[in-house]
Amino acid sequence: MANETNLREIVKEGIADVFYIWREELKNVFRDTGVVIFFFLVPFAYPLVYAFIYNNEVVHEAKMVVVDNSDSFLSREFTRRVNATPDVEVVRVCKNMDEAKRMLDEKKAYGILSFPSEFSKDINAGRQTTISLYSDMSSLLFYKAFLLSATEVSFSLSKEYVSELHPASSRQTELVKIDPVPYESVALFNSQMGFASFLVPAILILVIQQTLILGIGMLGGTARERNQRHTLVPISDIHFRGTLRIVLGKSLSYLVLYVVVCIWVIAIVPRLFSFPQIGNPGVIALFLLPFLAASIFFAMTLSGFMTSRESPMLVFVFTSVILLFISGVSWPKEAIPEFWRILGYLFPSTPGVQGFIRINTSGASLNEVSHEYRLLWIQAGFYFISACLIYRYQIIRSLKNND
Amino acid sequence: MSYGQQKYGVGAIAVREIKRLLSHRLYLFCLLLAPSISVVFFISLMRDGLPTNLPVALVDLDNTATSRTLVRQLDAFTQTQITQKMNSFTEARIAMQKGEVYGIYYIPEGFGTDAVSGKQPKLSFYTNGTYLIAASLLFRDMKTISVLAGASVGLQTGIAQGKSTDQIMGQLQPIVIDTHALGNPWLNYSVYLNNTILPGILQLLIFLVTVYCIGVEIKLGTAEEWLKMGHGCLFKSLLGKLLPYTVIFTIIGFMICAVLYGFNSFPLQSGWFPMLTAIFFLVIASQAVGIFMIGTLPTLRLGLSFASLFGMISFSIVGFSFPVLGMHSTLQALAELFPLRHYFLIYIDQALNGRDLYYSIGEYLWLLSFLILPFLIGKNLKKALLYMKYIP
Repeated sequence: MANETNLREIVKEGIADVFYIWREELKNVFRDTGVVIFFFLVPFAYPLVYAFIYNNEVVHEAKMVVVDNSDSFLSREFTRRVNATPDVEVVRVCKNMDEAKRMLDEKKAYGILSFPSEFSKDINAGRQTTISLYSDMSSLLFYKAFLLSATEVSFSLSKEYVSELHPASSRQTELVKIDPVPYESVALFNSQMGFASFLVPAILILVIQQTLILGIGMLGGTARERNQRHTLVPISDIHFRGTLRIVLGKSLSYLVLYVVVCIWVIAIVPRLFSFPQIGNPGVIALFLLPFLAASIFFAMTLSGFMTSRESPMLVFVFTSVILLFISGVSWPKEAIPEFWRILGYLFPSTPGVQGFIRINTSGASLNEVSHEYRLLWIQAGFYFISACLIYRYQIIRSLKNND
Repeated sequence: MSYGQQKYGVGAIAVREIKRLLSHRLYLFCLLLAPSISVVFFISLMRDGLPTNLPVALVDLDNTATSRTLVRQLDAFTQTQITQKMNSFTEARIAMQKGEVYGIYYIPEGFGTDAVSGKQPKLSFYTNGTYLIAASLLFRDMKTISVLAGASVGLQTGIAQGKSTDQIMGQLQPIVIDTHALGNPWLNYSVYLNNTILPGILQLLIFLVTVYCIGVEIKLGTAEEWLKMGHGCLFKSLLGKLLPYTVIFTIIGFMICAVLYGFNSFPLQSGWFPMLTAIFFLVIASQAVGIFMIGTLPTLRLGLSFASLFGMISFSIVGFSFPVLGMHSTLQALAELFPLRHYFLIYIDQALNGRDLYYSIGEYLWLLSFLILPFLIGKNLKKALLYMKYIP
């Protein structure tokens, strides 16, 4: 009987302590401008900044010059049609290549389209003719805009002129000659192949993890600076004498704050900028739960190694660039070397980004992201244990120091 | 805190700073480990230049010799690998949502017979725009193979009508576009990205270290002692303090150049001198911006936050992935405030295109003009160093 009451007392006291620590930690967060910056200002402002930067999605009116050695009706018609495409603007027709190259040197244009002198003659004689396209490689998107527009125009012009030159009995047989096997290409889920729709969802997930690491790391570093003997736990406070209650109490306070942050970052920002978001909100919420848990416990584990409040920024900020690439959103995961791919499994952002963009942008359900979902729960469990070990070690250390 | 016997002057401050950075793990992390990890990571990540064997799902409802030949040809492309064969588009779409494939190639029923009998069967291919790079590369391969399929059918029927290959090609594809990607004909992504990402990480670390090494004097209450060593002159004190970092970061910058242009033999049309100068200018410009940051926000945590956020935004606003010309005009103007932007423009002119130095002089001057920033904020910084109390 005595044992049973004892246990009940412990549980009751434990729960009370969890809420005590929860409240203390919330106070700590709001007292510290540094933490407030990372928990609120950055998640608020960063998505807006990135959305603004990439808002145009694709390049319009990339500047091009033309060198027209043919100077014929057909070459002028070609130029006119390229200019009419939304992606390319022909800024000048140059006399020769030297002049065109100078335009590129002066950044007045980023691409050159050059017609050979026999361009029109060849087409009229039914011979294949070759035009040259030169693109400045400061951005692949210029190259893409020039190439796609020129290809499109060459196709439409060919169709019209070849059929004019070889009048056939019926329209149907005409088309067969030029285009025996038509094809269609569809970009699914991000139909205009926009840059913001591709990159921003991944950045949003990364912002959540990185701000948690920086904020919680800062709280940890501050505690280490302030507490007696530089330990993570204020041992003078009687409520802080149990590993589980500290880890649960603190993580609960971060979770509550980040539910609010997530509503802004994941639900409101994509709507403001009308990014593709075809994922089921319930699925997204279910998926974010283990992601948040894993990120919080991961951050709490790392905070154990922070000896001063500034160190997280010096140590973790640069990793954001690496984590974005290791997540496999821009560089396909199949092409990531084995070593880095395995290392990537240590970070919640890797399955977090993969799963989120597929739910959010490609409309996957939990079934299709089960691999990532399971990984996140495993990470959450693993980092929960490691966070407990870190705090256990810190409690023992501070108790020992106290004696 | 005393560092040996009190001596004065720039040299003494530099010696004091070297002792400090050697005794603190945080500095060693930012100066040695972080740059090394980044270089090894990005160079090894993109070592092949282009991602190869991207998985594609095949839906071949025709399944004749004609369609199988087409499939074999598609699979032979280095970027494309057919990993799954499905019987319906829905199955393939689910594989795409699972992240198992980035593209779907669809061959309709009766393709082989329809093609030769002039019924114009339609080939379809789908890419997952969620993964932009993978989708673009697969688009290229799947489009090429579709065009080739048309050409081979056209050749067959043309030859049957007794026409010559030249005649047929003149009808099938009257206009061929010969593309020249200037400076990077392989469309190598490592050339495309690493030439800016690595200097970008260098810039970020310089911001952070510069802000930290000045701000920490306030935090530890050693700012007065430091200024005294510079005879109370902020310029001398800063010079002595930052000189060791200038040397270290310049060496790191040169090593990044050595990895890019030496070890990897990336395009370096201009020769070494313009790029080494550019990276040295990037180092001192970033240090100047760092001083400006801690001068405007002379609290260590705020200064560091400023450095982090500014440093991270550089990667996007510099325009090496999404071009600055495609951004809002406000952002086009703001981009000038980032040293990395000017370094990037120098790189494009010099290393990538080998343009005349004349075209880059403006950008070099831009980088040097960042050195004015510390003088604008000097008064504020000195006041903070002397009178501000560190509040945790």
